[in-house]
Amino acid sequence: MMMFDHSLILLATPRQIGVLDWRPGHMHWLGEFAADTAGLAAFRQIVVKHARLPVLLVVDTVDEDYRSEVLPHVQGHPRVELLTRKLKQVFRNARFTGAWRQARETMGRRDDRYLLAALPDADWLTPWLGELQREQVPLAGITPLAMACQHLLSKLRVQEPHTLLACRLNNSLRLSYYHNGLLRFSRLIGGDTPTQLPGSAADEIAKTQLYLTGQRILPREARLHVLLLDPGGQLDSAQAPLNADPAFSARLVDMSSVARALRIPDDFLAATPEVAPLAAIAGEAVQLNLAPPELLQRHTEFRWRRGLNFAAGVVAAIGLALTGSFWLHAQDLRDQAQQLQGEVQRGDARHAAIVRNFPALATRPDQLGLTLDLAAQLTRAPFDANTLFMPLGYALSAHPEIVVKALTLQDTTAGTANITLDAQLADFDGNYRAAMSRIDSFVTRLGATPGVAAVERVNSPVDTAPTATLTGKTAGETKPEETRFTLSVQVRT
Amino acid sequence: MTRPPIESLKTSILLLLVAGSLAAAGIFWSYKLNTEARTALQHQQAALDAAHTRQRQGQTEARLIAQHIDAYHALIARGFIGEENRLAWIEAAQLANQDARLYGLTYTLSPRETAPATLASGLPLKQTRMKVNMPLLVETDLQRFFDALHARAPGIFRVSQCGLTRITDAPPQPVNRPELDAECELLWFTVAADGKEEK
Repeated sequence: MMMFDHSLILLATPRQIGVLDWRPGHMHWLGEFAADTAGLAAFRQIVVKHARLPVLLVVDTVDEDYRSEVLPHVQGHPRVELLTRKLKQVFRNARFTGAWRQARETMGRRDDRYLLAALPDADWLTPWLGELQREQVPLAGITPLAMACQHLLSKLRVQEPHTLLACRLNNSLRLSYYHNGLLRFSRLIGGDTPTQLPGSAADEIAKTQLYLTGQRILPREARLHVLLLDPGGQLDSAQAPLNADPAFSARLVDMSSVARALRIPDDFLAATPEVAPLAAIAGEAVQLNLAPPELLQRHTEFRWRRGLNFAAGVVAAIGLALTGSFWLHAQDLRDQAQQLQGEVQRGDARHAAIVRNFPALATRPDQLGLTLDLAAQLTRAPFDANTLFMPLGYALSAHPEIVVKALTLQDTTAGTANITLDAQLADFDGNYRAAMSRIDSFVTRLGATPGVAAVERVNSPVDTAPTATLTGKTAGETKPEETRFTLSVQVRT
Repeated sequence: MTRPPIESLKTSILLLLVAGSLAAAGIFWSYKLNTEARTALQHQQAALDAAHTRQRQGQTEARLIAQHIDAYHALIARGFIGEENRLAWIEAAQLANQDARLYGLTYTLSPRETAPATLASGLPLKQTRMKVNMPLLVETDLQRFFDALHARAPGIFRVSQCGLTRITDAPPQPVNRPELDAECELLWFTVAADGKEEK
């Protein structure tokens, strides 16, 4: 949000108001306007021109009051009520009051330590605030100049625990005491007092030290580190008398160090030294805000609006980034797809060129080989009757009493062939035992013949199996047909 | 921070809503675009894989064709591929019978049928049964007939089975008179063409 911190910083005194147009890295002094009709009109023009910018009003006045309080530690709404009551109790009916919770005690109840501040007589602010309200300017807050100086000390990296900043601006001397870098007290000695005298400034500082010690704001034994900041150089001579006192340790802060710490040009700071505290507090959170809530309403709206606009910007940026990312990725994918499409077309063209040269076939090309293999398989080892007859011939030549009646050859196409042999004995005298013996002899020889894998007797003249029904007659004429038998022979092809 | 009235923030809230809506719409649109592009890419990748496969297959087929086309043409010429040629088979059987100097034959051709799948190897193999009945003088005439038929046959056939029966119980006589009756079953094989016959 720092980049949106363009704002106006006003330095208001009872006599005049100065306007600084500030944004990170840039600032422009818009001028000082006297607290009269002409100054107010000129100020109005500036406000109208910058009505949309938030405004921080830094007040530099004699009429300011500071009080350190230790209050019970509460949070939320009870704290608001507690501080409201306390501010009313301490500052009665002052309009511009504020409380700053600086730290929490480390011992006891661990109470909160507050700095309460008020502008008891700030009627001179009313015209300026009226102009701001008329133009509906978002007022971020009203804070004393001592708070701006606190940020200046922080940027100057002042580390001492007890620091008194003596700052001479607008012909006035402001003395502000900081404990561990946090504002505890401040007072302004007006320009009509004889602070021009070096000895007088040292006296005022010594008096302030006594006051702080008397009020127990500054420990009695503490050594006060005094920083003398004066663009005009009138405080330079106060350094020696202060350092002569062991209670003080004084040093001068030159404007070039301030310019360096604030990162602003030397000549710009030399021309408008009052810019220094304003530039220091610019962009920082308002810790001690003396503005009543009704004056901050516009700024609250401004912050909400700015937050919502920022959120809208972030959402839009995220949406744009994601949309762009997805879109770019999609374009990349599309390009890849187009490249692939080109490759597909080229591949199809190559395939078409290959297929174009194919002869017209009655079958698929991948079935050509299968067809050839099948043809080879079907023409392999054709039926050879002579080969099948060969073992039969050998066996029959050794048994001339066997007469073949019928033969059936069957090709099994599995390396073997079946032969069913139907035969009978050439003569038969009724002696079945002898006939069976001759048939058995033939079967044995046939089985032993090379090329014969197996011989099985299918039918016999006499079936002697215990499960068969056997019929016959023992008297009468005998015929060779009674010796018919059938063999199943497996021959290797 | 105390919340200011909604009325004063109307424009900013509207701006936020518009920004959110536009961002959501943009993200949705571009995401959809991205998804579609990814799907298209996947489709193209699949198409490319298919094209590569087709190309490889085409090259393989070209190689197969170059390797087998001559033998395939020979099978076509032989009558193994295409329609069955019954006239040629009948003529071949008659001529084989004459070549073997046999005594004539009778034949029966059954309708063409699909060959057993175990034999067909996935091809449209058809078979036609041919029963041949012929008298023989001696058993060796049978083989002579088959040898002659193999020489004459325009297609591919296998002898399924043959039965030889002696016509008479009388002992063999030294005269030229058939004494055996042969009944054989032949299977003529053809591969049916898927499409048109080759030019």
